[in-house]
Amino acid sequence: MAGEVVIQTRNLSKIYRDFWGRKKVRALNSLTFDVTKGEVFGLLGPNGSGKTTTLKLLLGLLFPTEGEVNILGKPATDVAKNEKIGYLPEESYLYRFLNAEETLDFYGRLFNMSAEVRKERSRKLIERVGLTHARRRQLKEYSKGMTRRIGLAQALINEPELILLDEPTSGLDPLGSRDMKDMIVKLKEEGKTVVMCSHLLADVQDVCDRIAILDGGELKVLGRVQDLLKDQGVTQIKTSHLSDEVVKEVEAVLTRNGAKLLEVDHPTTNLEELFVKTVRESAARPGQRYIPPTPGNTPAA
Amino acid sequence: MSLSFNPIPFDLAAGFAHWLIVMAIVLILSGISLTLMSLAAGGITGPLQVAWHVKDGIADLLGTSPRRVVALTMLTFREAFRRKTLWVFAVFGVLFLFAGWFMSDVTADPALQVKAYVSFVLRTISWLILPVVMLLACWGLPEDIRARSLHTVVTKPVRRHEIVLGRILGFVLIGTFVLSVMGAVGYVWVIRQLPASMQSHLTARVPIYGDIRFVTREGLEKNDEGKYIRDGINVGDESMFRSFVEGNSKARAIWEFKDIHPERLAEPGKLVLESTFQSFRTHKGNMEAGLLCQLTLVNEAKNVRVPLKTFNVKEFHRNVYDVAEMNPVLTDVDGKPANLEKDLLHDGKLRVEAACLSGGQLLGMARPDLFIRLPSRTFAASYFKSIFSIGLMMVTVIVLGVVAGCFVKGPVATLLTAFVVIVGRLSHTFMKELTSGYYRDSNFQMQGRGILDSLIRIPTHLTPGIEMGDGFIYRAIQAIDNVELSGLWAIQHLFPDLRTFDTTEYVANAFDVPWSASLLPSLAVTVGYCIPWIIVGYFSLKIRELEAK
Ligand SMILES: Nc1ncnc2c1ncn2[C@@H]1O[C@H](COP(=O)(O)OP(=O)(O)OP(=O)(O)O)[C@@H](O)[C@H]1O
Ligand SMILES: [Mg+2]
Repeated sequence: MAGEVVIQTRNLSKIYRDFWGRKKVRALNSLTFDVTKGEVFGLLGPNGSGKTTTLKLLLGLLFPTEGEVNILGKPATDVAKNEKIGYLPEESYLYRFLNAEETLDFYGRLFNMSAEVRKERSRKLIERVGLTHARRRQLKEYSKGMTRRIGLAQALINEPELILLDEPTSGLDPLGSRDMKDMIVKLKEEGKTVVMCSHLLADVQDVCDRIAILDGGELKVLGRVQDLLKDQGVTQIKTSHLSDEVVKEVEAVLTRNGAKLLEVDHPTTNLEELFVKTVRESAARPGQRYIPPTPGNTPAA
Repeated sequence: MSLSFNPIPFDLAAGFAHWLIVMAIVLILSGISLTLMSLAAGGITGPLQVAWHVKDGIADLLGTSPRRVVALTMLTFREAFRRKTLWVFAVFGVLFLFAGWFMSDVTADPALQVKAYVSFVLRTISWLILPVVMLLACWGLPEDIRARSLHTVVTKPVRRHEIVLGRILGFVLIGTFVLSVMGAVGYVWVIRQLPASMQSHLTARVPIYGDIRFVTREGLEKNDEGKYIRDGINVGDESMFRSFVEGNSKARAIWEFKDIHPERLAEPGKLVLESTFQSFRTHKGNMEAGLLCQLTLVNEAKNVRVPLKTFNVKEFHRNVYDVAEMNPVLTDVDGKPANLEKDLLHDGKLRVEAACLSGGQLLGMARPDLFIRLPSRTFAASYFKSIFSIGLMMVTVIVLGVVAGCFVKGPVATLLTAFVVIVGRLSHTFMKELTSGYYRDSNFQMQGRGILDSLIRIPTHLTPGIEMGDGFIYRAIQAIDNVELSGLWAIQHLFPDLRTFDTTEYVANAFDVPWSASLLPSLAVTVGYCIPWIIVGYFSLKIRELEAK
């Protein structure tokens, strides 16, 4: 935990006001947290809990009513900090009349990149987010997931050190969201810091090191995912397939030692795993139905 | 046939000084009000924040990246194209398809025909292009904010003024493109529409104007105060553009020309004068022939006076007077031969006097009514210079629109810009009168000085001519009124004087569009307005949250 602090907020509060300056909503109340370099930090919370508001405050898109933000050692309103930041907005707010290549080229120019660098990076990124086939189509023809993908590519154009993702997996198909999660893990391996907000708990659990749970604009929980989820009262053992007799023996051993067997079962994979496998298989063998392995039906390897 | 206004050369240095003064006043006023407002809003830290923003602004300016500005410019340009905003072309084309029917034969007078066609084309172009660029400019940024696509842009290292500049340049690029096409189509249309016999009237005369003064019927050149007399007789014409010279008397109008060097003239020694005097008859006289007029060339330094052969004024026509052709030999009043170059031109100076020889009749003259003609330029040159002025006006409107879009939504920005444009075009003179207390008629100088002054004068029935005294109270009133008048004066300057950009009259009347009396002031107005407005746009984008409200 003793890394370099990249994001620091102190008593951050935000009240949305209307045109006349009257209070409308208290979206955030005295939020304090730190994010250290190299971690994946998740902001969780129900709809309207203030996740997006927090990200916008970090980026200087909104100004805090109270409190302070320090990001990469600079105040949130400093433009220079943006050199090292990548941001994927809640909905990809891009220019719909540009195509994928033009989009990345445009944002590349905003980082003052030379033409060769822009070309090279946008080619790589388009490939990485799987849009090579659609790179010349205007974004207004894109589906939601495709827009999300180009949005992510746009956020990575400057090889940022700090990446802020607002619901990165929303609108993505399971394959896309798996890719997204893989990408986040990979970014972490490269030593980058990622802050993401989401209400898809499984996603958060898969990739985040630490999480904060917001509700009604207030911080409810803050800590390491592992620590938060570890149930100290239960031990889990996984083995290869055991026959019923062996299971009985194990049960006897456990009872002798005063433990109680809670559950013996064949693990089912989760739906996500199944979906991902199916789609991958169908890509490998187009035109065929994928038959998942069941006890009575072992597919040829 | 002649200009209805006075083309005065623009003094760049004086204009710049004027600009600096206005900017200083605006800066001081906005500085004071910002400090007060920030004190009220944030207490002691308020003004500190203002100072911090200013410092930040300078840092941002130094960090400007041309590449980013170009990227934003191209984005704006592409957006307009891909969204098919340029349907205005179609309107333009249709207009010209049908215009030909209605305008085919306005008159048999070629000069009037040219005037009708040229003003139609130039007016149409400016009235079509201005609303289009205004709408584009006013809606661009607010739409970007509403769709939040600006969020993705401002989270890149983009400075806010680069966004403002990029928008402005993008719209200017589109406008320039549209304007070039329209200009070219309009040019071809005029050329093709005009019968071959009238083509020679498509030209651009190049005049040299002199300064005008008058001599009274008694032969007096100066008034009681020892100053030159600037007006002749007023025959009751309320526009007072022309002053009148009485026939058969010592009354004359005098033009002093400068910078007349033989090599500038059409051919060395060939002096061509052109005049458009107005006739005012107190009795019918001979209606067939125009009033008789005599021009006299004078070199005051050498005391040489050369009366020229008289001519009959053809009213509402260009009276071209080729000195050498009309007077094969020039002789001075004593009958001695005189040479134009040696005896009359002195240091490039030449004086021309005009007198009316028809007794009991008057000739009306104004500064642009007599000029020396230099070799003409082509019609194309003056036409495209006029298109360039329209382009400058377009730039000003774009800047106003984009900046308005930085702090209000599209519809409000449009209203605001339209308001400024209308005020700038129609009521600039009125505002000037209001703030300077000076009425256009030089004989009638208003004495009113300000609100407090008037508040006292009205109930006490004190006429403006009478001083209120010089007690302490009066001086205090004067001081307060001066502050508030200079504020008003500065506000008046927030509205660009858009009439500067209208060069139609030059081209339509077959004059060249002058650089120093027209293009230079237009450029100055454009630059002078754009700089402060862009700064306003930058700060309004910077201090606001980019959430649609
Ligand atoms: N521009 C705005 N004007 C007024 N209120 C707003 C604005 N944006 C957000 N809010 C309010 O602020 C609160 C927090 O909104 P926020 O968008 O941060 O929630 P969120 O956690 O991102 O929700 P979701 O999961 O739906 O994305 C909500 O009550 C919302 O109504
Ligand atoms: Mg949200």
